[in-house]
Amino acid sequence: MISTQTFQIGVGASTQRDYILAVKEAMQQARATIYNAKIDLTIVFTSSEFAHPNTLKTVKDIVGDSALIGCSTGGVIAGNEVLHFGIAIALICLPEKTHLVTADIDAVQARTALKAGEELGEKLVSGFSGLPRDFGLIFYDGLMAENWSFIAGLQEKLGISFPLIGAAASDNLQFAKTSVFHNERILQDAASGVLFGGRLISGYGIEHGWKPIGKPRTVTKSINNVVYEIDGVSATNVYEDYFACNLERLKKESRRISILYPIGISLPDEKEILLRNILSIENNGSLIFQGNVPEGSPIRLMIGTKESCLEATKKAAGSAQQRFLGTPCNLILVFDSMSRNALLGRDSKKEIKIIRDVFGPNVPLIGACTYGEQSPLESINYKGKTYLHNQTITILAIGG
Amino acid sequence: MSESVINIIGLIGSIIILCLSLLLAFKIERLKQTETECKKLRKSLDEMDEQAKLIIRTDMELNKTQEELDKKISSLYALQKLSRAISTTLEETQIFKRIDATTLEELGFERNCCFLWSAEADRFVLHLAIGYTKGELDTIVSFIESIKSSLQDIITQERSFSTLTLAKNTTLRNKVNRIFNVHAFVVSPILSKEGAQGLFFAGTNNPDFTMTEGDEELIGIFAHQVGQTLENARLFEKTWRAQQDLEKKVELRTHELTQALEEVKLISKRKTDFVSAVSHELRTPLTSIKGYASILLAGKLGEIPEEVRLRLEKVNKHSDELTGIVNDLLDISRIESGRIIMKQASVDLSKLVASVADLLSVQFKAKDITFSDAIPQEATTVWVDEGQIKRVFINIIGNAIKFTQLGGKISVQSSKTDKYVRVDIHDTGCGIPPEAQEKVFEEFYRVDNAINETAKGTGLGLALVKHIVEAHGGRIWVESSTGRGSTFSFTLPMTA
Repeated sequence: MISTQTFQIGVGASTQRDYILAVKEAMQQARATIYNAKIDLTIVFTSSEFAHPNTLKTVKDIVGDSALIGCSTGGVIAGNEVLHFGIAIALICLPEKTHLVTADIDAVQARTALKAGEELGEKLVSGFSGLPRDFGLIFYDGLMAENWSFIAGLQEKLGISFPLIGAAASDNLQFAKTSVFHNERILQDAASGVLFGGRLISGYGIEHGWKPIGKPRTVTKSINNVVYEIDGVSATNVYEDYFACNLERLKKESRRISILYPIGISLPDEKEILLRNILSIENNGSLIFQGNVPEGSPIRLMIGTKESCLEATKKAAGSAQQRFLGTPCNLILVFDSMSRNALLGRDSKKEIKIIRDVFGPNVPLIGACTYGEQSPLESINYKGKTYLHNQTITILAIGG
Repeated sequence: MSESVINIIGLIGSIIILCLSLLLAFKIERLKQTETECKKLRKSLDEMDEQAKLIIRTDMELNKTQEELDKKISSLYALQKLSRAISTTLEETQIFKRIDATTLEELGFERNCCFLWSAEADRFVLHLAIGYTKGELDTIVSFIESIKSSLQDIITQERSFSTLTLAKNTTLRNKVNRIFNVHAFVVSPILSKEGAQGLFFAGTNNPDFTMTEGDEELIGIFAHQVGQTLENARLFEKTWRAQQDLEKKVELRTHELTQALEEVKLISKRKTDFVSAVSHELRTPLTSIKGYASILLAGKLGEIPEEVRLRLEKVNKHSDELTGIVNDLLDISRIESGRIIMKQASVDLSKLVASVADLLSVQFKAKDITFSDAIPQEATTVWVDEGQIKRVFINIIGNAIKFTQLGGKISVQSSKTDKYVRVDIHDTGCGIPPEAQEKVFEEFYRVDNAINETAKGTGLGLALVKHIVEAHGGRIWVESSTGRGSTFSFTLPMTA
């Protein structure tokens, strides 16, 4: 799909309880700033209640042939708020000589995550057939097992010559059902994505704001995202020691521990530390994390505060804005960890204000709270490899 | 040679061994030092780790406290928002429309229902449902209907129940959890002064939500607020309806009175017209009677016997009285119908009173009545028809003379009141009984007293006076007590 018009963006949101009224209200707001242009892509984020085919059908009935991608979320970011109930829509009319391809992949578990990633990558790349690529945007089921393998497969096919930003769908910390959207399809155990190419400018920033605390430790036994031993002792023992409580109490506090005290993995050749949330604390002494923790990884316990989170937001917004010095930014997409949202509580809207302070108050902005973010580290010194993150705020700024 | 070489080599070897030994000893020393350093570092790291543990534990406690505080602040803020929203309406139907789902979610409850008891329907009627599909609501309504007696008992006792107060695995708790599809819930009675009106259900399916007494209390406060707002709305509705009824009644009465007034006016006009017509008809024959009587009395038709003359004089006198009555009646009807236009001009009240006093001086003298007047400078210039106002004074003072005994007193005084001059004519006469005071200004009314039985009068004088004063825009009234005299007061417009 190659566009022949000027770059126009419209965003809208609604908290109406009726999905038809909600879609109509959000669409009305979004279309208000679009003048006589064909919509190339519609991005939709909805709370779990609206994640059903009727919602997408209502959107598609209005936008027509435009491609649609998006995901369900526990927090819809729109305007200056994080809405726990509602819908946000961005309508994108691409400028001349730019193009995009969308695709999806389902039955990830059956295909294996690695294969599914590769297949989605192939679908996206095949649509480009030699055209230059600017950046990719991926949404995947927040409950997908081996999401790191999926990303590895995807990157295998897409290469590291352009940034790949992604977000894991979420559902308000219930971990019951998360969905990704592609056109009129609502998918679980799946992923959808879009690849942009042409003259688009993109900038991204990713930060978490957590700091290491306690002595460095090593993962001595792990398989994928299950850590059995740290420094030769059972993983839960280390946590029991840190939090001065037994396993039962630890399990009770797992949500709070997951949000406030993730582990940080130091990566060779990267100065940032990758965070991993605890998904669950097992009776066999193992800890299950939201992403893979390779055996032998040097890890630290991490600690964060509201202030350090907000400072990180400012830093991420600054990084994303670096490429827009003197060039207007048309759209900001924000992927904010659900854990950050839980930690910040009433202050979560401060993150949006910080981003707006950096980009200006009128730049269209929507986003979603996520169960994982996906982005290369250090956007300024771009090294290409995309990592799976937890607890971060990832900001993707698009202009053209 | 070879021995010395061997010796030298041996020596060198010994030196090397010595050096190596020294180096080894040095290295061992260094290793020991490094090991000590390492031990120190490890100890520091362990100490740091211990400190980290303390920090983490403290941080965890702080975060818990902060979280609770945040939750309380958010809840209070949400409660305030909800209270403000519902208390600004006085329409019962609007109250539930104003309960915002997002704000209730801020309280921690995304699923909410409100039932009000309807005695008429003998069931709890659903007025609010948030977070449920129609199918779910049908099940909930049936469930509430099935336990309505128990619910009534509970809410009559004005107490809440929740996952905090109900023991685990009780039938009620399990049923509510299952049917309302929630993990935690509070059910609070909606209370008003008249008692429990219904119940408010707030629930959440968030497994991380831990119900506290504070949550239960907040929902209780909100339910109470709903109850009070309902009561206000109902009271307002009642008052409004009463007011509407009253307004309708007032409108009806006003309409009836207006009709009655119109009828009275019509009758009054007919009467005036009749009086006017009759008076006109009477005047002509009266003039003839008086004329013929005068001719006969003057002897123009020959000498008349004494007895006839006396009779003729009576005819003449009665004709004059009758003419007076007819004239007064005509004046009244003219004033009433607006046919007489008051020729108002600036008049000096003191001069007018003096001329009236002069006119009546014979009567004063005849009854030895002391007349006095007090007309101050600031209350002397009035904007009136001099001739008509003179009639007013003559009538009132004439009456005063009639009803004042020998040696009595009559006084006239004036005072300024806003844009009017008030005139008080006081006499020391027999006074007017209270029941007659309002009637003295009615046409043909005569006070029932000894003087009136003998003295002549038409009962039209004060009626005419009232019409003249009112035609000037003033008003007239009397204050009197039997045996102590009377004061007739009236107001006249001042000259601007």
